[in-house]
Amino acid sequence: MSFGSPGGARSFKVSPPQKGSFPLDHGGECKEFMRKYMRCLRDTLGENTKCRVESKDYLECRMKNNLMAKEDIKNLGYGDFKPASEAGNA
Amino acid sequence: MIGCQGRIALLCIKKPVLTKSTWNGHNMMTIIRQTALKASSWTVYGRYSSHRADVASSTSQLLGVTRPYLQTRPFKTGRIQDDWRQKNKSLMMYIGGIGVLVAGLAYACVPLYRMFCQATGLGGTVKHGSETVAQMKPVEDRELEIRFSADTAASMRWNFRPRQSAIKLVPGETALAFYTARNPTDQPIIGISTYNVVPFEAGQYFNKIQCFCFEEQRLEPNEEVDMPVFFFIDPEFAEDPAMYKVDAITLSYTFFEAKDGLRLPLPGYS
Repeated sequence: MSFGSPGGARSFKVSPPQKGSFPLDHGGECKEFMRKYMRCLRDTLGENTKCRVESKDYLECRMKNNLMAKEDIKNLGYGDFKPASEAGNA
Repeated sequence: MIGCQGRIALLCIKKPVLTKSTWNGHNMMTIIRQTALKASSWTVYGRYSSHRADVASSTSQLLGVTRPYLQTRPFKTGRIQDDWRQKNKSLMMYIGGIGVLVAGLAYACVPLYRMFCQATGLGGTVKHGSETVAQMKPVEDRELEIRFSADTAASMRWNFRPRQSAIKLVPGETALAFYTARNPTDQPIIGISTYNVVPFEAGQYFNKIQCFCFEEQRLEPNEEVDMPVFFFIDPEFAEDPAMYKVDAITLSYTFFEAKDGLRLPLPGYS
């Protein structure tokens, strides 16, 4: 299978997502944040770097509404942002 | 007077000893003795020495004549042979043992190496955790395009599509992407999804922080829901020479209906 792959390449291991699965947003509580993010992506033609604020806002909305485990945004790769007052503090 | 032919010619006596006058009983023994002596005086170093020696020894035994002939000494006595046999056997056991040990080591190398790599992290086995995400630095000079595609199994009645066709990002940067699923039927349907990454070798760098895959998701009749994927591409992607020409990665999700006995196809080799 993946024994002795050349050049010391890593084997492709199927791993579950690090923080598990997102609970579904049945109530549409964070739909507005999602729309803002999608609008930003459309405007910048898909540039993720320019829309990081919107994606951070979406994740914080999720955390506020118990749709995501509360986590320091630094651990989610937003280390360059200042942590938000309520949702970001773990 | 006696006929001389071939080998027997060697036995020929030069002088005829059989004369009329001597042909009587008491001279017979003399003749025989002379013949024997002549035969036995033939050197044992000649070509027919063994033959001669046999003849000589048997004849000399007949006459009671003893002559020192070349005697062969036995090379190995019984005791020395046993000793050698014992030494050979123990040597063979040692060599056999070493051979088995080396073969066993060769087979044991593979899992041992893997255990060693897991423990020490050498050779690229990466331990993922939130610490790595926090310390991750985006690789600014390598822009990638992540394309999204959505699929359903043939029997799955959901409408499932990506909300964006592509996102541009760099390795080491976390990104959010959305898919939308809708249940147009009037029965609740439970779906379960799996994903695929193309090109295949880029899949090892695709790290999902959170997504909606591998878990059952239930949709009520006529319900529409947004499903996010929060992921990043490992910064080591930029250092892999095999990924040098890769600029676009396609992430493709497929939804199946969750039924008993459903075997979800997992990405990678199974």
